[in-house]
Amino acid sequence: MGLVLFGISLLMFYLTRGFLPPSFALAPYITPRMNDAAKLALAQSLGVATNSCPSFQAFSALQQACLVPVWAQYTSWLANVLKGNWGLTLLPGISGTQTTVSVFFSRFPFTAQLAVMGAALTIVIGIPLGIVSATHNNKLPDHISRIVSLGGYSIPQFWFGYVLLIIFVLYARIGGLGLLPGSGPLATTCVICFTNPGSVAPVTGAPIIDGIISGNLHYAWDSFAAMILPAITLSITSIGALTRIVRSSMLEVLRQDYMLLARSKGLHERVVIYRHALRNALLPAVTVAGLLTAFLFGGVVVIEIVFDLPGVGYTSLQAVNVFDINFIELYVLVTALIIVVTNLAVDIIYAKLDPRIRY
Amino acid sequence: MTEIEPTVEVNRSADVRFALHLFRKNPLVLAGLVLSVGSIAVALLSPFLVSPTSWQITHPLLKNCWNNPLFGWGNANIATCPSPYALGTDSYGRNLLQMIVLAIPVDLQIALEVVLSAVAIGIVFGATASYAGGIVDEAILRITDIFLAVPGILLAIVFMVVFGRTIPVLTGAVLLIWWPTYVRLVRSQVLSEKERPYVESLRSIGAGRVRILFRHVVPNSIYPLLVQATLDIGSVILTVSALTFIGLSPSPLLPELGNLASLGSQYFFTAPWLIIFPGLTILLISLGFNLLGDGLRDILDPRLRR
Amino acid sequence: MQDRSHDILTVKELRVNFHTFAGQVKALDGVDLSVKRGEVLGLVGESGSGKSVTALSIEGLLPQNAEVVGGEIILDGKDLLAEKQGEIRLARLREMAMVFQDPLTYLNPVLTVGSQILEILETDRRVFTPVVVAARLEDLDKAAQRGSLTEKESREKSRLEALPAQETLGRREFKRLAKAYAVAILGRVRLPEPERMFKMYPFELSGGMRQRTMIAMALVRRPALLIADEITTALDVTVQAQILKLLRELKTQIDASILLITHDLAVVAEICDRVAVMYAGNIVEVAEVNELFRNPLHPYTQGLLAAIPRPDAVRGQLSSIKGSVPNLIFPPSGCRFHPRCPSAFERCPLSKPPLVEARAGHFVECFLYGG
Repeated sequence: MGLVLFGISLLMFYLTRGFLPPSFALAPYITPRMNDAAKLALAQSLGVATNSCPSFQAFSALQQACLVPVWAQYTSWLANVLKGNWGLTLLPGISGTQTTVSVFFSRFPFTAQLAVMGAALTIVIGIPLGIVSATHNNKLPDHISRIVSLGGYSIPQFWFGYVLLIIFVLYARIGGLGLLPGSGPLATTCVICFTNPGSVAPVTGAPIIDGIISGNLHYAWDSFAAMILPAITLSITSIGALTRIVRSSMLEVLRQDYMLLARSKGLHERVVIYRHALRNALLPAVTVAGLLTAFLFGGVVVIEIVFDLPGVGYTSLQAVNVFDINFIELYVLVTALIIVVTNLAVDIIYAKLDPRIRY
Repeated sequence: MTEIEPTVEVNRSADVRFALHLFRKNPLVLAGLVLSVGSIAVALLSPFLVSPTSWQITHPLLKNCWNNPLFGWGNANIATCPSPYALGTDSYGRNLLQMIVLAIPVDLQIALEVVLSAVAIGIVFGATASYAGGIVDEAILRITDIFLAVPGILLAIVFMVVFGRTIPVLTGAVLLIWWPTYVRLVRSQVLSEKERPYVESLRSIGAGRVRILFRHVVPNSIYPLLVQATLDIGSVILTVSALTFIGLSPSPLLPELGNLASLGSQYFFTAPWLIIFPGLTILLISLGFNLLGDGLRDILDPRLRR
Repeated sequence: MQDRSHDILTVKELRVNFHTFAGQVKALDGVDLSVKRGEVLGLVGESGSGKSVTALSIEGLLPQNAEVVGGEIILDGKDLLAEKQGEIRLARLREMAMVFQDPLTYLNPVLTVGSQILEILETDRRVFTPVVVAARLEDLDKAAQRGSLTEKESREKSRLEALPAQETLGRREFKRLAKAYAVAILGRVRLPEPERMFKMYPFELSGGMRQRTMIAMALVRRPALLIADEITTALDVTVQAQILKLLRELKTQIDASILLITHDLAVVAEICDRVAVMYAGNIVEVAEVNELFRNPLHPYTQGLLAAIPRPDAVRGQLSSIKGSVPNLIFPPSGCRFHPRCPSAFERCPLSKPPLVEARAGHFVECFLYGG
């Protein structure tokens, strides 16, 4: 696991530093008040310029004596980063004295909240839909479920988001207000919203949880309402994928001989399906959990842009535009860490569910 | 030494008949075939349907024009247009339908390039990994692990930021997301094929390992690759359009489905058609290839189990 | 009011078709079968003769593309074909039990062997409470006789003895007693260390042990009818012998009738009381075991018996029945065996011969013996 993270950081580092002029590496750390000597010292402390470099001009001119090879840059970057120094933020609209780390982690909980909602929706809809589809194979529920899953899998997420917005905000209007909130993390102008939710102290950074903790349920509800459409949009692709997998593995399992024995024992049909079939059918579905997590964390970027949400996905695009590489690196590594942990958890769960694996 | 071919040949004509029978039984697959072949046809015919340079010309006075008698849009700001446009005009005043027709080949070409390259890379590295085994296999596997643990969009974004926002870079960025899947797929296919009895018999008559690999094992592993490639054309188009939608395209004028949609996103309140039609096109193309891929899997899969 | 007639199972004129791409397979063509109370009836025939289809029809577990197009299946007075799904499930739980051929694929790989037995009992606490309580009381009595009854156990004993007849136990207590009962049954099928076996998974056991587990699953519900479908076929000969011995022992202990399906005449000779011979979806001969081996009447049965290699026959080739199993989509007209029959004559292709009692208790479906 550590090896994979190490590899990812190496990959991203090489991608961002290995092809561009070294002055780009300096950018996140430069303040307006630095003179050339300070800049050179900065470059040297970052490991981008050699100690024997005569001047900042020489460095900018890419003279050989000044340049440090990329692998060496990586090690000094790694040293900095492991100390927790990810540099100052370059993002627009934020004071330049804020560190990348603080900006990232102030916004990350919001995205995490969205991702968790998307994951919950995926599981709650995907699994039952797949089961029903398999147990009523080739009948109406199966056809509906196949359309939903195939459609969900083929739909462009950004487009789906706008379609939902058009339907629920533009067209489904009651009393002049859209049924669901249009954009932004807190909704006050919709049919099911409270109009004056007030504000809460950002304890965890996830607005719904903060609202519940501080007892401001109006705030929690409004935040939740604002997340409905984004969560649906985010999960549509993974719902499609999960339904397909559950359906095909259930179909496979239902054909097995042990289903025949289970029925012949006089067990209730419910027990036969949920205890005997599902436990076997979920095994392949569980293995794609890591993949779906990657889906979800990749999707938040687009979703946050469409719905104008202040999470790290939206911010990462801003970072890309101003070339704040540290932010991007941090984002990628944190996401990768989550995915790797998810895969580990999946392996453990799989081993618990399938006794044959322990040997 | 004469070449002895494995005698595991399948009866081809009976299979073709079975395949056609399945096609007829399953209307969804037929729909998929129609959509995917249709989009390819449009792509090939597009230079004859629309002037190839018309996307570079803007008509500011015709911006966001909707004059299609078939639909009316409730809250749309209906500007007066001199003549009816089937799908309206976009924010540069260009005929949206024409832009979509120009965009389809762009997307399909990128998708095809990505998928074919990924398949090629997959075959080379996947076969090598599984046949060489040992540390080579481990290394290749770890590298795919690394790529698969990064959410695709991020990887592509970073790649494009570093190397520029051009079509070839876009193609490369998306390829970066897809190649590990194919390496793993080929590797697992080859690993299971390797154990088949006919490989052992070929070895025993002295056939070289590389020869066995490329002349026998790979062709027999081709079916899942074919299925995956067809499905992935659909998925690649989704990723490409998502990337251009968030702004990573060479020029806002470029006729590309995600690009067109992003132009329309600013006006979705007043001119919803600007985003609906390009997105719908993406949906139909992707749906077509997904249905086709699904159908191919159904046709090819039970035969593999024989 | 239970029907105390002689037969526990009566199958009359059972016809079953399978709808396939290639056409209608007429798998069962009017099967007549009856199993007397307390007997072991063997059902023999080659692969494809319809033995398993018959068994699955009785259990109501035919696949989706099968259709029962005629006949009756009467188990203990109830026509199973006329019952609703819920009633059939209850019949499977309480009155009949089936043991299948290959225990590896028939046992759920991700559940422990013990839990697969326990779930049967937990399906209907009301029905199984008396059984479970009786088993526990038996244990406690034995302990009392040995004098090793603890204070706690003796209180439990009096409490259980005082339990009114119709009472259902509470969930937790039931589970405890049911588990003890299941372990006891595992012991009865002669599995070593039943306590430990309870927690094991199917893949950890050998073929013979798995088969015993499946028998235990049948035993636990004290069925009136036990259907054993080729239960020894997947096992090697020594294990086969053990399983048959077990079945013989159990037969005397429990009050069940057994329908033993097999293609192996040796197995039939071991434990069956009567035998029915099946060919291409028809029952062609039924007789008491010794009678069948001494006086096989139907040409097919004669061919089968003649084909058994004998250690004392020194000369010649092994005899076999000429021809091959018929295509059941287009079955032969009249008597389905006539194309292969050495004694066929003009009447045979014309109509299906009725089942006649050629000798006492010995039935044949063949025009050679009238009909």
